[in-house]
Amino acid sequence: MIPVIIIGLGVIMLAAAVAAIYFKSLLASIISAGVISLLASVIYLILGSPDVAMTEASIGSGLTTVIFLFALHRVRKGKSDD
Amino acid sequence: MIRTIIGLVIVLALSAIVVSSVSDYSMPSELIGVGRGYTEQGVNDTGSVNLVTAVVVAYRGLDTLGEVVVLFSASTAVVLILTLIPIGANPTPPSSIVAFTAGILPGAIVLFGIYIITHGHLSPGGGFPGGAVVASAFLLVMLGSNTIPGKSKFLTSIESIAGLTFGLLGFWGMLTLGQFLNNLVLPAGSPGRIISAGIIPLISLAIGAKVASELSGVFASYRKAGGEK
Repeated sequence: MIPVIIIGLGVIMLAAAVAAIYFKSLLASIISAGVISLLASVIYLILGSPDVAMTEASIGSGLTTVIFLFALHRVRKGKSDD
Repeated sequence: MIRTIIGLVIVLALSAIVVSSVSDYSMPSELIGVGRGYTEQGVNDTGSVNLVTAVVVAYRGLDTLGEVVVLFSASTAVVLILTLIPIGANPTPPSSIVAFTAGILPGAIVLFGIYIITHGHLSPGGGFPGGAVVASAFLLVMLGSNTIPGKSKFLTSIESIAGLTFGLLGFWGMLTLGQFLNNLVLPAGSPGRIISAGIIPLISLAIGAKVASELSGVFASYRKAGGEK
């Protein structure tokens, strides 16, 4: 059962990674990249390393996504034509 | 079209290399080498029940010090670049949901972060994730206000004191036991108690304070630069 869950999560991660490249909207790409980290932290938890899972969830999917969002916001402000 | 084919060929070649190198790999049935040493002697050596923290802070404390330095230089560079951008006007006021949440949640988040930091040697966690959680509480406060954050001497002094504490704890081990960052300058105590495991709790506190203040500083400078003109 556990290998099936891990493979399923891995497939979703791959799909999210490809989607992050092909999304037209940068916002959707950033969220998609955050989803990859979140699923990675779930996999770490299943594999029995809660320490790494906690770090990945807080830094990888939380703070990095927020910093990307801030940067996107800033870039949009600087551009005159959209 | 050509680029797609070249990319595909590179990916296929790389996957062939990876598959051929791990094809004879099998899951070991028992721990070997240094991992075995850590699991057998970790609790006796360091007094830390959480072996991951024992490795990260005690056995490989120098690596963690390097990691802290990396984070310090990265956040310094980000803040330096962002201060070149003129400070914008106040950001748009948050929605009532965000404002209400930012009024009640940060206290609980900070408490949880402090729990993760102080129990690093007992349960999963430690300085880095705990500090990130505390910083996210400050982020929530920033998102809930409609003014840009002002200058804070407090944040930078916390950051400096925390970094200095980490280094001085290392030199304490060097002076008394002849080894940089030796964990047992304080007694290991009884494993499982909150005051045990030598200087691991103190180093966790230092790392947590440093990470929290650094990330908060990064968020604050983004918030300042992100205001509307």
